[in-house]
Amino acid sequence: MKSGCLINGPITPDVITSLMEKISERTDTGGHSVFLGQVRADYENDKKVKAIDYSAYEGMVKVEAEKIKEIILAEFADVKSIEIIHSTGIVKAGEISLLVFVSAGHRHHATMACSKAVELIKEKLPVWKREIFDDDSHLWK
Amino acid sequence: MNLMEVKVLFFGVLAEVTGTILKNYSEVKTVGDLKLRIYDDFPEVIHYNFRISLNNEIINNDPNLNNGDEIALMPPFAGG
Repeated sequence: MKSGCLINGPITPDVITSLMEKISERTDTGGHSVFLGQVRADYENDKKVKAIDYSAYEGMVKVEAEKIKEIILAEFADVKSIEIIHSTGIVKAGEISLLVFVSAGHRHHATMACSKAVELIKEKLPVWKREIFDDDSHLWK
Repeated sequence: MNLMEVKVLFFGVLAEVTGTILKNYSEVKTVGDLKLRIYDDFPEVIHYNFRISLNNEIINNDPNLNNGDEIALMPPFAGG
């Protein structure tokens, strides 16, 4: 269930597909840049990450995601739209927890804007993560 | 007379160490006063690095509080 830009659980292919289907509704875009953030099976003191449990301040995520979009649209004049989706709850290693989808008139602004958006998300979005290890212990990052 | 009450939300590791995600506080004048009341209830919080938001805006000063305000204690973000 999606609320604002948050989705419970991993971001599945149908989410990305539905965004791709919307592309043809516009004919002023020529380039799209997509970032997918995946949960990686990191090791911490010989313990392997099996999942990440994400939590978020929903009301503030909405506010900050809009601010990020405004920053991107102000800096990259050729960007026509930007979608940000972040998971909450459990996302297993290998699954996707972040989607950024930028559409622009041309590829240059699409790729640069997408990269900037990811950095702003890491800096400004009120989301927290708890790594869960194979032995079911956890660590807040 | 209406009771002055604010809502405090705890996130990330702070929710775990306090065992709390939401607590209401009444008759508290400023954010500074509220912090002292929170430290009284949850002394462990003082050992953690966090920022405070007031009605979805991060604050760096000590504003007055009004009835219905929402305050969040937020450890460093880790999204993306």
